[in-house]
Amino acid sequence: MANRVVGYQRTTALIKLLFFGRLGDFAKQVPATIQASTPAEIRERLNADYPDLVKELCQPQVLVSVNQMIVSWEQPLAAGSEVAFLPPVTGG
Amino acid sequence: MINSHEQFMRYSRHLLMDDIGESGQQKLTEARVLIVGLGGLGCPVALYLAAAGIGQLTLCDADIVELSNLQRQILYKETDCGELKVNCAKRELLALNPDLQISSYAAEVSAELLVNPYDVVVDCTDNLAARQLINHHCCQQKTAFVSASALGWEGQLVAFDFAHNPSLCLNCIIDKGSAEPLLNCSNSGVVGPVLGAMGSLQATTVIRMLLGFFQQHGELQRYDGKSGRWLNLRAEAKPGCDVCS
Repeated sequence: MANRVVGYQRTTALIKLLFFGRLGDFAKQVPATIQASTPAEIRERLNADYPDLVKELCQPQVLVSVNQMIVSWEQPLAAGSEVAFLPPVTGG
Repeated sequence: MINSHEQFMRYSRHLLMDDIGESGQQKLTEARVLIVGLGGLGCPVALYLAAAGIGQLTLCDADIVELSNLQRQILYKETDCGELKVNCAKRELLALNPDLQISSYAAEVSAELLVNPYDVVVDCTDNLAARQLINHHCCQQKTAFVSASALGWEGQLVAFDFAHNPSLCLNCIIDKGSAEPLLNCSNSGVVGPVLGAMGSLQATTVIRMLLGFFQQHGELQRYDGKSGRWLNLRAEAKPGCDVCS
């Protein structure tokens, strides 16, 4: 009999992560992928191991994109999506 | 009309291009552009637009030139310190191209200034409140709007052609209720040429809009000068946006 997973339902998807600009300086040790269902959940999951990064992600005007589309922190994520986080730039 | 040898020579590198030529130069000559902010972004924007022959430029900035500006604000000289930026800029731009009509406002951007008719408004400010005020008026008046910002090694640009795309505005991307971030150029610094790159891109976008080539409404471009990487992001109108919907 072939192995089968019964009653298992995937609730999170494997997501590729990109931390743009100076956020990359805080994310050097962060894995390239993570399991999560929304960008907000990615932030929550990173908090235990990367509090300095998450502090930056909690700044106002941080932008989030999924597959090069700007989205909200609550956007549902599909497996294989690339989620990018962009720090605010406000000077002129 | 190119009606003198001097004008023919001045704009010859535009006139040589099939997709600009005399008719394109005429559009630039007749254009009215407001530049809000004459700092690190506004300086290259103003210089390139004046050089390109934008006929009517309006300059808005309340500040005076300070020594700490000279690392990146390329219109000003050390002898300008203590003088209003708009006065220095107007003098330098007219020295570059005396055919232009240049108006200057030594004040913060206001609704009164923004209700005047412009073909393009260029946001070179350093705070969200000013950006959102400009966004609101441009959206209401269907005026093209080019916004940029920079910090550290990074720059950002987004532009809106409200005449052809009434929905999707700056408020859809960055909510006007957002607080200002802790970091700004005054407390964390900025690399001068990053502002130059973004300002040059703003000026290019203005020219593209005036010539009818612009098609990137609401597309956000990010530049990281430290890694040399660019990122282009699309955006969608926010349902119920109280500015554009």
